[in-house]
This record gives sequence, structure tokens and C-alpha cells, in this order.
Amino acid sequence: MGNRRKHVFVLLFVLALIVLSGIVIASKPTKLGLDLKGGVQLVLQGRPTPQQPTLDNGSMERAVDIIRSGCDQLGVSEIEVARVGSDQIQVGIPGATSVGKATECATKPARLFFFDWEPNLIGREFTIGGHPGREPPKGPVTEASEEWKEAGRAPTGRADQELLAAGAYPTEYAAAKLASEQKPRPNCENCSQSTTFYLFEKKEPHKLIDGPEFTREDLFISPSGRKRPADAGIVLKVPQGTIVVSEKPSDSKGQVLENAEPGWFALEDNPALSGTEITRPKQETDEVGAPNVTFGFTDNGRKAFQEVTRQIAQRGAASAIGPSSTESAEQTSGHFAVILDNEVKTRPIINYAQNPDGIDGRTGAQISGGFNSPSEAQNLASFLQRGALPINLNLISQSQVSATLGSEALHQGIKAGIIGLALTVLFLLIFYRLLGLVAVTALAAYGVIFFALIKLIPITLTLPGIAGLVLTIGVTADSNIVIFERIKEEVRAGRSMSNAIAAGYRRGIATIIDANVVTLLTAFVLFVLATAGVKGFAFVLGVGTIVSLLTAVVFTQALLGSMSRTRLLRSPSALGATRQSVRWHFDFMGASRWFFTLSGCILIVGALALATKQLNLGIDFKSGTRVEVALVKPTDEEGVRTALQNAGISGGEVQKESNPGLGDNAFLIQSKTLEPSQINEIQKQLEREFGIEANGFDSTSVGPTFGTTVANSARNALIFSLLIICAYIAFRFDPKFAVPVLIAIFHDILITAGVYSLTGREVSSGTVAAFLTILGYSLYDTIIVFDRIRENMPRMPRAAFSQIVNRSMSEVLTRSLATSFTTLLSVVALLIFGGATLGDFAFAMMVGIVSGTYSSIFIASPVLTAWKEREPGFIRRRERIVAADGSVSAFADEGDLAMLSEDGETDAEIEEEVAAQRETQPKASAIATAEPPPETDGGEPSSNGEPPAVDPASAARRERNEKRRARRQQRRKHGRKR
Amino acid sequence: MALLVWFTMGIALWHFTVFLPDHFWQGIVGAFLGATIGAVAFGAIVEIASGKGLGETDVSTALTAIPGVAIGLAIVYAIGMRQEQAVE
Repeated sequence: MGNRRKHVFVLLFVLALIVLSGIVIASKPTKLGLDLKGGVQLVLQGRPTPQQPTLDNGSMERAVDIIRSGCDQLGVSEIEVARVGSDQIQVGIPGATSVGKATECATKPARLFFFDWEPNLIGREFTIGGHPGREPPKGPVTEASEEWKEAGRAPTGRADQELLAAGAYPTEYAAAKLASEQKPRPNCENCSQSTTFYLFEKKEPHKLIDGPEFTREDLFISPSGRKRPADAGIVLKVPQGTIVVSEKPSDSKGQVLENAEPGWFALEDNPALSGTEITRPKQETDEVGAPNVTFGFTDNGRKAFQEVTRQIAQRGAASAIGPSSTESAEQTSGHFAVILDNEVKTRPIINYAQNPDGIDGRTGAQISGGFNSPSEAQNLASFLQRGALPINLNLISQSQVSATLGSEALHQGIKAGIIGLALTVLFLLIFYRLLGLVAVTALAAYGVIFFALIKLIPITLTLPGIAGLVLTIGVTADSNIVIFERIKEEVRAGRSMSNAIAAGYRRGIATIIDANVVTLLTAFVLFVLATAGVKGFAFVLGVGTIVSLLTAVVFTQALLGSMSRTRLLRSPSALGATRQSVRWHFDFMGASRWFFTLSGCILIVGALALATKQLNLGIDFKSGTRVEVALVKPTDEEGVRTALQNAGISGGEVQKESNPGLGDNAFLIQSKTLEPSQINEIQKQLEREFGIEANGFDSTSVGPTFGTTVANSARNALIFSLLIICAYIAFRFDPKFAVPVLIAIFHDILITAGVYSLTGREVSSGTVAAFLTILGYSLYDTIIVFDRIRENMPRMPRAAFSQIVNRSMSEVLTRSLATSFTTLLSVVALLIFGGATLGDFAFAMMVGIVSGTYSSIFIASPVLTAWKEREPGFIRRRERIVAADGSVSAFADEGDLAMLSEDGETDAEIEEEVAAQRETQPKASAIATAEPPPETDGGEPSSNGEPPAVDPASAARRERNEKRRARRQQRRKHGRKR
Repeated sequence: MALLVWFTMGIALWHFTVFLPDHFWQGIVGAFLGATIGAVAFGAIVEIASGKGLGETDVSTALTAIPGVAIGLAIVYAIGMRQEQAVE
């Protein structure tokens, strides 16, 4: 296929893609993330249970299914549930305005067990309450009464007396202590839970500090994420085979007193049957109109239920003396306990006179007497219907975004994107003229195709995703800049337009691929290792980079290729490729020690700032709760603080906030990690006292586990990014090229850390992600420079390495600055117009770009030079130059520039070409002489198939050249003698 | 945080090695290793000896790195000199 046909085919293909994309954009909705449309987002971490001792795929998937279907049943619609990593589940509930219900539906284990009560009581509990109808021995009762008094709960009231008579302990500590003294039953398959740990205060009455937890370590991390001291309290380990349960007393009508303090029991963990063996749970009303929950049994459940109730009845009958009436039998009948999540919901008696052979499970059973309202019973029925979670799920992070703030963020993101795009377009048009117009067309094509892909895949668009999107605009523009600068060089070198375009793309593509592969690798590492919020950013960046390769390389090449013989591209000025206006002739390597000094000083300031001010780590790392609220009635910080105290929250920081999305009366509240119920309480209290604007309540809570996960994932992402980038550079360039890159990256990271420490800006997981990405992206500059060094090394076989680097830098500095500048345009737009969250991303990106550009020019290249100059080959070159010229100049003599040495040309041929080059392009820059014009009348073809330049019969110059060569050969001989 | 401070000081002071004759083992890269490893190792030893936690940092934490950098650089320099002498 001829070039022209190929170009037309590519153009038609891209045109078809654009049309198809237009159809997709018109017909498919955009999937917005919760941070843009409002709602509640939770991150849960799975923990094993005795029934599910390891977290495998099956149990995690079952948990996901149960949450998805269960929350639907609880009236939480459109729930988005997804697994994150091996042990986390992310739950998103669009439109939810309260974290309470959402959290409950996702995290309540709803683990229901049925116990034959009396045989499972332990020790004194059994002595007192294990023999219904029989007077308990006085000693244990007196001992128990004393204990209740000591605990400040003298059993004078009916409720406590009832608990005392059942054998209950007045405190959780006492029951847990008894439980902790029991023998463990390892590998107990029938047990309802595994070993648990409790942390109690040392002083009486040993209030619970934390627990039950499944590991001892979890006890020593407070909800605010702070480590507790090792001697924070008394740790009790309740071995597998024993559980601690609570029971609230009931009134004379059997109604549970919800506000009463519970009694505590240690029970042998021998459930008769579990919630998995019940069917059709539903809320109904009993004969007196009180709400209850009825349910049936599976076949196995029915048998187990009949068996356990028969045993209870038989035990009751055995303990009776003589025949009993139904009423008298009640006194001696045993109990059957229904325990939901370690709380006794109901403990009915199994009247042996009524049911001497147990209760036939075919008629089902009911839980009654424990509900204060039908909705409470309805909730329990729904949870039972949902089924028990196969694993324990701990809430490690939660956030609630109001729809108003979400739409405000979306609006700001779009605005920033449009402004960034407009600035980039303007720059491209001014700087590259017609080529700029081509780049703008490519950008437009990129925008349409990428937006269609976002809708088609579909990619859930989040705030970090928008940041990734804006960054890819810079990536796309950069690809064009790399190629256009190359084309301009070729045009200045005297090539025809079509040849210049072909050569520009052929030579630029390697640089673009190297640079984009590094960006892609960083995006990939982030996607695999980062936390959920950052994944969207990484995915958008990755897909965007791939699409940009299509539009910025393939599409623009076809476009320019088809235009190359038209009038439009006849004049170099149309491409901005007239005389090079800026010619860098700066001794970069010579000045490097002063730039090193500058960096050293900046880093010393950074180190001192880090030592004295540290980093302002956000709640993502430290854990905690942040609430943003827009109040109706005006108040001040003190008023909000008082409302918090009224809601039972102390120690929170309150700040008035200037957020246009929240109005003039907005406040930011930060505190230790709060429970969903506490956040609800804050919301209610503020609503009561000041009123909350519609959709004016936002909250984010991060638990210590999540903070650790975020910190670990950031560390891993950093390490893996560095390793992969270095491996790639070592593979594509030379292993020695990877080390300066690594040092430059350290330099960038530490400067950024210093800037964050000095400015006191908050460091969030998004900041780290943005910075990691920009590190990969900033290598663009390093790769551009290194790519040119690699290219110039064989062309300058006699030059010192510093001269090669100086020349390479001077050739590509404009290009390097232009790529950084275009990206900065997008990033600055994000910083100014993107709102708080995108602004955070943009600040990290901005520092990364500035630092990355600086370090690639003034750190990476000088380090590479200093290291390479130690190689014997370059030492010899330097010695030769010093011997010949007295010192090593900043730039190599034109005669030292071998243009095509890789094809094995002789010195004479090389110099002939250099001379020819000088002659044909006397005004071009040193770099612009890199390639000979193809339309020549002779010369040896080079390895890349292009004919070399030939001196247009300038005998005088040829003669001068000959003399020069002779002089050089003499110098060499002289050098060897020495 | 203390590790970050020492590492930053190590790299910061390494920048000034460009003013020294390049006799370091492996040149500027060897000097980089000497400065950073010296800073972190010496800082950690002093911090552990003084009984301070790695999370607590102040100006003295940053200053602690300076002797470490000097020692690290001196070692790398000495190795480099010995190698050069051996080659000669």
C-alpha cells in the first residue's frame, strides 16, 4: 500500500471512530462516581470466622452477594458493591444521605444462633440459673449479690433481680474473666466464633476499652488510629469454645427494656442450630398485637429444632416432681435462647407440659417480646432474610458526599478541564502554527474517542479520574511536541517537507514510546497496588495514554502525510520552522555544580522543615473523621463545638470553612474516628440547633486499618514504580542510565516532601498517587534528554561525554521545556479552577513537574556525565582533547561531530559530511545539523538508508577540511607519544 | 519521619561533593551511597543510643545526619583512593 493510500485509510479509520464515538456519547450515560453525584461510600475489611477460617474467593464473593442483595431488601437501592484487593469490599450507595443505615446493612453480621440455654451456662451461672424451678444455693447467690453491689448495681429493681436469678454477671469484665478461664476447643467446627480478645480498664469496675477483637494487636489501636500503650489495660483472651453474651432484662409483660443495662453471661459455645437453617423470616404481630418475627426451618433445621426443644422438655419433665399443669410446668421448664450477634434477643421457655416431645419445626418459630416498634422487628426480619455474612466485616473507612458538593466538584472539574484544554490549544497554535492546528485536531479527536470509551467501558468518572483526564491532555500534546520539534529540526536541516515529516515521526516515535511506556507502567503499578479511590485515576491515565498514542502519532502522521505535498506545508514558516529563534549554547555541565549547590540548599531547608514541622498527613494516613457541614442559622466555631459536646463528641477541632459549594456558614469538623452512629448523632444535633442546608452534610471516616493500608499501598507503589522504571530505562538505554534517574527521583520526592512540610499542605492518598504518576510522567524530560544522548554518542566518537551531554541538552531543551509547559498549563488550570480535591492533586502534580523538569536537566544528566566520564574510553577521549586543545571546551568542535558513525564510516567521510553540513546549513543550530538532507547528489548511504549530505563543490572548504584532518591526526600521534 | 530527615540531609549534603576531587569509589554514585547510608546509619545509632523514638524529630535530628554523611563520604573516598593507588 502506498503512503498516500495508507494515510487516507488511517484518516478514514479515525473519522469512522469519531463518528462511532459520537453515537456512543449521544446514546450512553456517563457513569459518575459517588464523589461527583453524592452518596455514601464504605470500605470493609474481611476477617475469618470459625466457620470460615480463611478468606478465600468464595467467601468474599458470597459476602459481596449478601451485601448487594441484603441492602436492596433493606431499601437501599442502586448499591454498588465491589471487591478491592484480597480482603476488602467497597460499598457505594448513591444518593444515601446517612451513613447509619448504609453501614448497618453492609456490616451487620446478622449471625443468628439458637442455644439450649441452661446446659451451656458455666460455673456460678449454672449453679444459680441452671436449674429452673429449683432454689439456688445461698452461698453463690450471696456472692453474686455482693458482686452486683460492688459493681454499683445493687439488685433492688425487678430488672436486675431477674438477671441475678438467671445467674448473670453485672459487668462484661466478670463474664469475660470467667470465659477466659475456660479450656479452649481448637478446631471446633460447631462454634459460633473463634478466639476473641477484650481490653478492660485496670481500675474498677474494669470498663471495656476495646473488644471483642479477633487479634490482640487490634486492641492496641484506638479508633482514632493511635497506638495504645502496652499497659493500656487488662487483656482477656476468651478461647474458642466459649462466648460472652449480653441480655437485657424484660418487664412483667415480657417486653425487653431497651434502655436498661444488660447482664452478662459466659456460655459454652454449643449452638443447637444456626441462622442458615431458617427460612422465610418475616415481621408479623403476635396475638396481643405486639410485633414479632416469624420464620420456618429447613429440613435439617426442623429436625435440629425439634431435637433441641425435645431435650429441653425432657430435662424439664425430669426435674419435676409428679404430674404438672401447664402453669406449674413453666416454673421448671428450660429455656431456648435466640442469640443474634452475641446478644440474647429472646429466651423463651419450652414448656414440657405443652410440648413434651419438643416443638415441631414444621409450624416454624417466632422471636417476640423484644421489639419496641414494628420497624425494629422488620429490620431483624430483613437481616435474617439477607442471611448471615460468612465472614466478619470491619468498617475501615466511610465517606458521605452530598449531591450538591458532588455536582459542584464535577462542575469545577469540567471547568478546569476546558480552561486547561483552551490554554494548551492556544500554546500549540502560537508555537507550532499549522502543526499546532494539526495537534489541536488530534486533541479534539482524542477528546471525542476517549470520552466515548469512558462511556462504553464504562469507566466510573471520579474526581481523581478527572485529574487523570486533564493530565492526559498534557500527555497527548507532549507526544505532538516531541514529533513536531523533530520535524522542525529536519526542515531546518534542509529536508523536503514530506521527508522531514517521515523522518520526524520515525525518529520521534522511539522517544514517545519510551516516555509513554514509563507513564503506562506507573499507571499500571498504581492501578494494581493503590487504594480504590486512586484506581480510577490510574485507569483513566492508562487508557488515555494509549488513546493518545493513536491520535497524537498515527492520526497526526496521516493528516500531515496527506497534506505534505499541498501548498499549506510548502513554507517552513507555516510550521514555525524558520530560523531557530532560541539557540541554547549554555555549558550545562560546567554550571551543574552551581545547580547542585542550589538543590543541596533547598534540600537542607526541606530536611530542617521535615524535622521541625513534619508532614501534615491527612486522615487517609492517620485515621479520623472529617465532617463538612453547611448550616442554615449563622453561628461560630464555639457554637458548633457546643453542639458537638451536646452530641457526646469531645475533642473535635472545628474550623469555619470558605467553600462556595457550602455557602457562608460552613464548618469543618475533624476528630478521632467516629462510629456511624456518632456521625448520625452529630448530624441530628446540628440539624436541631442550627438546621443543615439541603445536601449540606459531608463526612469521611478512616479507621486505623485503612490508614495502614493506604500507607502500605503508597510505599509499595513507590517501590514498584521505581523498580519498574529503572528496569525499563536500563533495558532501553544502558544500566548506567538508570542510576541517575533513580537519584533524580529521590531528589524530586524529597523536594516535594520539603515543600509540603514548609507549606503545611495536607498529604492525602490522592496526593501520593498524583505525585507518583507525575514522577513517571516527569521522566518524559529525562527520557527526551537521554534519548538524544544515546543518539549523539555514536555520532560524536571523539567528544568528551560532557560535550555530548551539552550538545544533547542544547538540542532538546526547547522541546523539554515545551512539554513541561503544556502539562503545567493543564495542571495550573486544575489548581486554580478545580476546587479543593482537584487542587490537591494539581499541587502535587505541579511540584512534581517543576522538580522533575529541573532534576532531569540539572541532576540526572550531570550525574550521568560524572559517572560516564570515569569510563576508560571517555577518560582517554578527555585526555586526548586536553592534550590537543589544552582543556575540554563546553561544546565539541564541529569536526568532532560524526553524523553517521554507526554505519562504519571512516573519519574522513565523517568529517566530509560535517563540513558539508556546515556548508549547507551555516545558520542552523548545532543540533539542527544532526541529519543530512536527503536530496543530495551523492555520498555513501548510511545505515538508516538515507544518503549523506554532500558539499556542493566547495573546493576551498574541502581543502580546509583536509588540512584540519591532518592537524587532528598529528595531534593524535602527539598524544600517543605522551 | 527521622529516617526521611536523615535521608534528605544525606542527599542534600551529597550535592556538595561536586566541589571535591572525584576520587570516590564509583565516583559520584559511590558518594551518593556513602552520604545517604552514612546519614541514616549514624542517625539511627545516635537516636537509638539516646532513647528517642524514630517518630520524634527536631532540629537535632537533622543535624545528627551531618557527621554520618562525613563518615560515609570519608569511607567511600578512602576506598576510591586505595583502588586508584592500586591501579597506579
